[in-house]
Amino acid sequence: MQKVDVTIEVCGMAGDGTIAAGGLLNEAMSAGGFSVLGFDSYPAEIRGFGRCVTRSRIGSYEIAALCDATQVLISLDEEQSISRVPYLVDSAAVIFDNNPPAYVDESKSLVARLDPGMALFGIPLSDLASEAAGTTRGRNLTALGGFAAIFGVSPDLFRKAISEKFASKGQPVLDANLKSFEAGFSYALEQFKDRISPIFGVLEQTPFPQRVMISGNQAIGKAALDAGLKLYFGYPITPATPIMEFLAKQLPKTGGRVVQMEDEISSIGAVLGSYYAGVRAMTATSGPGFALMTELITHGVMAEIPAVILNAQRGGPSTGLPTKTEQSDLHAAVFGGPGDSARIVVAPTNVAECYEFTAKSFQLAEKFQTPVIVLTDFYLDNRVENLPLPEASAGQKSEANTYPDDSSRGNYRRYADTESGISPRSVPGMEGFTYTATGLEHTERGTPDYSPENHMTMTRKRYRKIKGALGDLPAPQEFSSGGRLDVGVIGWGSTFGSILEAVNTAVALGRNVGALKITSIFPFHEDVIRDFMERSREVLIPELNFSGQLANLVGRLHKKEVVRLNLVTGVPFPPSTILSEIERILATGAE
Amino acid sequence: MKTPGRLLEKKVQEIKDSNEFSVRSSALPTWCPGCGYFGIHHALNSCLTELGLPLHEVVIVSGIGCAGRYPFFGGTYGLHTVHGRTLPVATGVKMANPSLTVYAVGGDGDGLAIGGGHLPHIIRRNVNVNYLLFDNSIYGLTKGQPSPSSPVGTTSKASPFGTIDKPLNATLMALTYGAGFVARLFAGDPDGMKKAFAEGTRHEGFSFFHIYSTCVTFDKVNKTWENLKHQVRPLPEKYDPSNLRNAFHTALEDDFSLGILFKNNSTT
Repeated sequence: MQKVDVTIEVCGMAGDGTIAAGGLLNEAMSAGGFSVLGFDSYPAEIRGFGRCVTRSRIGSYEIAALCDATQVLISLDEEQSISRVPYLVDSAAVIFDNNPPAYVDESKSLVARLDPGMALFGIPLSDLASEAAGTTRGRNLTALGGFAAIFGVSPDLFRKAISEKFASKGQPVLDANLKSFEAGFSYALEQFKDRISPIFGVLEQTPFPQRVMISGNQAIGKAALDAGLKLYFGYPITPATPIMEFLAKQLPKTGGRVVQMEDEISSIGAVLGSYYAGVRAMTATSGPGFALMTELITHGVMAEIPAVILNAQRGGPSTGLPTKTEQSDLHAAVFGGPGDSARIVVAPTNVAECYEFTAKSFQLAEKFQTPVIVLTDFYLDNRVENLPLPEASAGQKSEANTYPDDSSRGNYRRYADTESGISPRSVPGMEGFTYTATGLEHTERGTPDYSPENHMTMTRKRYRKIKGALGDLPAPQEFSSGGRLDVGVIGWGSTFGSILEAVNTAVALGRNVGALKITSIFPFHEDVIRDFMERSREVLIPELNFSGQLANLVGRLHKKEVVRLNLVTGVPFPPSTILSEIERILATGAE
Repeated sequence: MKTPGRLLEKKVQEIKDSNEFSVRSSALPTWCPGCGYFGIHHALNSCLTELGLPLHEVVIVSGIGCAGRYPFFGGTYGLHTVHGRTLPVATGVKMANPSLTVYAVGGDGDGLAIGGGHLPHIIRRNVNVNYLLFDNSIYGLTKGQPSPSSPVGTTSKASPFGTIDKPLNATLMALTYGAGFVARLFAGDPDGMKKAFAEGTRHEGFSFFHIYSTCVTFDKVNKTWENLKHQVRPLPEKYDPSNLRNAFHTALEDDFSLGILFKNNSTT
């Protein structure tokens, strides 16, 4: 089978339909049976003059990350597309409007900036759309028609994607869009008949049939639904809002409720109240909202109340970069808030894991009676991947509460100092087991007590309990041939896909390197990580933060000085940067 | 001012005999002797007894401050949260299990300062929670700082030259936000409180109880027993609590008449 690995960009001005075109492209290619990973970048302003870019990587093998080089650029706005030229490979194909509605000044001409080796496909997008549908609004679909014709993609895949997207807008809108697409398709088929390059059409069979396009946020929302979420409390914040919007539509169908609260403090407060009463609840936020939640999160730690909190990280500190990706809330998630407040923190690395860890977090929260924080980031939340439709396991749906047994009725010790640290937890309505949950240090019965021995005992109990969760958390996964490695790369979150891409490339070049994926951020599997560090001559930890937050956490496990590779560029970690660093270390040793 | 041991024993026996231990826990309140909160505690316990609510189906959510300790002294389920967040937490409890009877209790610092932003929203949502605001116009547990309901000129260690900020009127606030049940009460009037608590508990929707109380330790001039006793009086006998206009008028013009100021019979 011929290997397909093509990155396609659509670039335009806000309002050009760029994001819609990228979405349709992803749907069509997914329906065509390819592995698809897509990510959009758009301005924070609702209506402005911002640049919109969608990037999609289409593969005949499982795609783990976006790559840095683009093979195909579909330009809906010349001036905006100029910024994408540096990312194009030398032989890139560029589809553009060769008779745009507005005059393009020479200094803003895309074509003038392209390398001679690139393949240009000028299509009068506006004219064709206008002729076909009476409006230039569908010129983004005209461009897709051109794309399908030039690269030999079956137009039926696009027709189906367009029909599904516009079905709810009524027949006239749907027809106009289909006509705009067809106009581009037939024009390109005729105009470029000698230059057709059917790179997607030569596969004998589709490698990944039966997949659905799903974003990180949709996966999180669906996981929560499937795991039996009953109440969602939240406050709008980028990039977590789509989770609330998804659940607002879906949760009522299962008898649940979504409540938009007055702030993030009340959101986590209501989640704790709900879980105290024995009902699964969650909230999702981003860094600024998470900061507000920390006091109540530590209340959940102290009073041993379950809670599920999703922190979709964005650039910080403070309001920071609301629409840019970063991994700089790890310290806040693990250590944020007053006191020694151990809680469980997990971090998925791809969309499938967004589903898996969100679904799992409800059980973890119940079993270990603690807030569980799921750390994602803008890139992970907003990117789309095509996956087999994920389903929660029966285990994830079933509750994991430890209730008191009848023998303790009337002599109930809510915070019994057990070997596992897990104490039987009653919920209101259970007769004979009333108690007061409190954020004050307390005795086994829940009575406030500040004596030295008691605070030592209860702090140890809470830490023992969290440590015990390790058995329920996935161990780090190693991607290597085993044995000794010249460079061992450790990573977490969305950056891990880039690490995997870089390490796979290095291995293909004959380098002795490997990668370790950490998804359990706290508690973490010290032995596994230490062993990997021991076997690696040099340890590299690339992260999208300035202070090396994972490196700070796990770096101390071995006397070896880890090499940190930190970017705060707001964009996904480029695999090429990691590859260069691996090569540099191999050539010179660590700094 | 420690209570002599024999007096304490006598009090414990008295409570045991009154059968109140079924409602109270064996932990005796830690409030200062003479504190107004004893009266509120007694009145709510009597209300629970009168309504015959099973204690394991009652949840009392509290914040931080002297009033925050409330749930430890009762036999119900209790949730002692952080400062100012009683109302959102109570919202979660009630929505999770609507068959529970939920009370939120807190002081004027908890409810009007740090937690002041939550009151309009629980009222907007009309969550069926009963909120008891213990208003003694002082921060007692941190030893006597002025609160948002302290009158202008209040002197304390934190305001040695007297406060200049205007006090909030909690009753008027609740009416303005649109609360469907608003009562103004006095910690020295257990029967009045009990009656209002029972009626508010039965009210389908959010109920607000603004309770004037005292801080016998840190307030010797403002809301003292002596002052309050002479200031408060019941609402006129023919007062109609279904008339919102009247309720606003009363809340604006008169700080001290007690009773159910407003009760909206329609439930939404």
